[in-house]
Amino acid sequence: MVNELQENNCYVALTHDYLDAKSMMDRVRSPKAGAIVLFAGTTRDNFAGKPVKELQYTSYEPRALQTMLTICKSVREKHSLTSIAMIHRLGVVPIGEESILITISSPHRQAAWRAGEEALEECKEKVEVWKKEEFGGEDGGAWRANRDGAVGKRIDQDQSGPPQGPHGPILRAARPGERGHGPVVRGDHLGH
Amino acid sequence: MGSSKAPPGHFTILYFASANSYTSKDSEFLPARLPLAKLFETLDEKYGGMKAKVLESCLVTINLEYVDMPENGEDGVIINEDDEVAIIPPVSSG
Repeated sequence: MVNELQENNCYVALTHDYLDAKSMMDRVRSPKAGAIVLFAGTTRDNFAGKPVKELQYTSYEPRALQTMLTICKSVREKHSLTSIAMIHRLGVVPIGEESILITISSPHRQAAWRAGEEALEECKEKVEVWKKEEFGGEDGGAWRANRDGAVGKRIDQDQSGPPQGPHGPILRAARPGERGHGPVVRGDHLGH
Repeated sequence: MGSSKAPPGHFTILYFASANSYTSKDSEFLPARLPLAKLFETLDEKYGGMKAKVLESCLVTINLEYVDMPENGEDGVIINEDDEVAIIPPVSSG
């Protein structure tokens, strides 16, 4: 199942399925383009050295698709791209598989390289997708199905320890720069 | 998520990521109308400690659009019946 939007040679999508790099390259392929740049973000087996058993992504899908489209349109215009496509996988993503693909076509390669990096950074900063890492060796290691939104049931919180989520304690808050594929780097580092 | 319609006099609120874990809910219905300025304290009363531990790092959308949390004691926009409100923690896509 794929939730997608398309406009002005920009394609964005969210899916629970395996990501296919070839089909995303074909989405931006054009006789006007001399380059296709593909970024594939894959899931790591550790967070700061701590083993990660699996990752799970959730999203506010209609909001996330709008944000992805806004990013793609902006990047496409700024770099005069032929076409751009961005897809994010949701649900459990096994270690080593792709969680995101971005493909970009442009007449010449440099614009595509730059645009790809910029699109990824913007995505990591803004797109309403959240990752949860399940660490091996903790209890509560099995993921449960999300609750179906039962109404009005008060959940009393334990004030002493970390808040308890449906999948066990929330071990840490997200920090800038830890999100997935290396630190969020600002600046024109592709130019060097 | 967010597919079921709020009963009369209520709005829908969606909880993602840390907000989901803290409330142990994907979504619920809360009484409308509610000034946006009262949203965090309403949730904090319901889920003790949520404001400091979760909400203060979150953004809020109403019907998919981001809204500014009012300051200086103003009410800001009013959350109306049937609105879809979402608590947006810091994202971690990629």
